[in-house]
Amino acid sequence: MHWDVVWNNFDYFLWGAYPKGPLGGLAMSILMALGGIFGAFWLGLLIGVCRLSKRVWLRAPAMVYIEIIRGTPLLMVIFWFYFLAPVIMGKSLPDWQSAIIALIVFTSAYIAEIVRAGVLSLPKGQMEAARGSGLSHVQTMIYIILPQALFNMIPSFVNQFVSLTKDTSLAYIIGVSELTKTATQVNSRTMKAPFEIFITVAALYFLVCFVLTELSRRLETKINRYQARGR
Amino acid sequence: MKRLATALTAILVLAFLVSPAFAGKIEDIKKRGTLVAGVKDSQPPFGYVDEKTNQIVGFEIDIMKFLADKLGVKLDVKAVTSSTRIPMLTQGEVDIVAATMTHKKDREGQIDFSITYFMTGQRLLVKKGGPIKSVKDLASKKIGSVKGSTSEQNAKKAEPTATIVSFETYPEAFLALKQGKVEAVTTDEAILVGLKYSDEKPEAWDIVGDYISPEPYGFGLIENDSKFRDFVNVSLMEMWESGEYKKVYDKWFGKDTKNYIPLTWTMELWP
Repeated sequence: MHWDVVWNNFDYFLWGAYPKGPLGGLAMSILMALGGIFGAFWLGLLIGVCRLSKRVWLRAPAMVYIEIIRGTPLLMVIFWFYFLAPVIMGKSLPDWQSAIIALIVFTSAYIAEIVRAGVLSLPKGQMEAARGSGLSHVQTMIYIILPQALFNMIPSFVNQFVSLTKDTSLAYIIGVSELTKTATQVNSRTMKAPFEIFITVAALYFLVCFVLTELSRRLETKINRYQARGR
Repeated sequence: MKRLATALTAILVLAFLVSPAFAGKIEDIKKRGTLVAGVKDSQPPFGYVDEKTNQIVGFEIDIMKFLADKLGVKLDVKAVTSSTRIPMLTQGEVDIVAATMTHKKDREGQIDFSITYFMTGQRLLVKKGGPIKSVKDLASKKIGSVKGSTSEQNAKKAEPTATIVSFETYPEAFLALKQGKVEAVTTDEAILVGLKYSDEKPEAWDIVGDYISPEPYGFGLIENDSKFRDFVNVSLMEMWESGEYKKVYDKWFGKDTKNYIPLTWTMELWP
C-alpha cells in the first residue's frame, strides 16, 4: 500500500494550491455545496410556491422550469451553463461560479417539488382557518402554512442537500479544481496509489455528508419539541 | 418532444455562433498583460500538478512560458480536458490550447492549428514477454483505451475483431491491464511512456508494435487570426533553431528523465 502518496498530498486534497494559487480540493467542494444549498433553498422555495399558485402565469413557468430541469442530467446543466453563460450575460464567469449556479438551478427544481409535496400534505383546514381569521393568502403562506410544511420537509431537504454535496464532484468537467479533480490530478501523476487516493476521497465526502446529516438531525429534535403532534 | 429537441438544438447552435468577436489576439493579450493557455493538468509530463509546489508544470507549460516571455506578458494556465478545450478556445476563455491535441483535418473546421510541436504515434502497452507483439496479435482480444479518443477508433480500424474497452482516463485503463481485464492499452506513445514509468516496476511493461497512426500535436488557435498564428509558428521555429526547444524537450523527455523518448523527428521549418 502507498498511503505515503495520500499523506504527501493531503494538503492538496484539502485546499488545493492555496495560498500560492487558487483555492481547491475539499475546501472548494464545501464552498460550492454551501453556496448551492443556500441558493437552491430560496430559489426552490420561490418556485415551489409559484408552482402551487392558482394564477396560471405563475404556475405554468414554474412547471416548465421544473420539468425541463428534472429531465436534464446535472452534468449537462453544468456543461451547458458554463458555455451558455457568456452568451446570456455577455461575459464569461469563473468556472466555480458557473458550477454553483448550475447546482442551484438543478437542485432548486427538486426543492420546489419537495415544497409542493410538503404544503399539500397539510390538512386543508389550516388554510381555511387562517383565511377565515382574516389573513391574506400570502400572509397565510408565510405565517401558517410554510412554517409547518418546512418542518415536515426537513428529511427530504437533507436528502437533496447531501446529494448536492456529492454532486459538486461533477464540476470537474469544466475544470473546477474540487476534491475529485485534485484526486485525479494526483492519481495521474503518481499512478501507483489509485485505491488509497480514492478511498481517502470517498472518506472525505462521507465525512462532510455525515456532518450535514447529523446537524439536521439535531435541528429536527430541537424543533420537534415545539411541534404539535397528531391531528 | 421532437419539437423541443429541435428548439434546444437551435439554441445551442446559436450559442456557438454568437461567440464573442475579437480584435486580434496579440492586442488582446498585450492589453490584458497575460497569455491565457488551456493546458492539461493530468497528463505527465506534458502538463500536471507538481507535488511540491501544487502548481501546473510540464513540457507544454514551458513552451507557453516561452511564448508569454516573447510577448512580454505573464503566463496564466487554465486546466482543460479533451472535451472542453475546443469550446473554451472558440469562446475566448483561453487564447491558445496546449493540451496534447492531435492536429486533425476534421478539427480544422472549428479551430486553427500551429505547426507540429510534438510528434508521436499510437502504439500498444503490454505485459513484457507476453504473446502480444503487434496489433494483429490482439485479434478477438480486449484493448483498453479512453472514451472519445481517436486511439479508440484507430485501434478498432487496425484490428476489427478486437473489443475496445473504454475508460475515463489512461491510469484506469492501465489499472485494467494490470488486473488482466484487457490485454493491451493503446494510445500515443508519449502517454504510454508516462504510464509505464509511473509504475513501480516499469520493466514489467513493454511498448510494442508499429505506429497504428501518426499523432502530430499542434497548438489550438482561434480561427482566422493569422497574425497570432504566425507569431506562434515563428516562435516555435525560433525555439527549434536556437536549441531552446531541445533544452525544454530534454528537461521532460531526455535521457535523464523517467519519460525518455529519443527526439527522432524534425520540426517543419520555413525558409
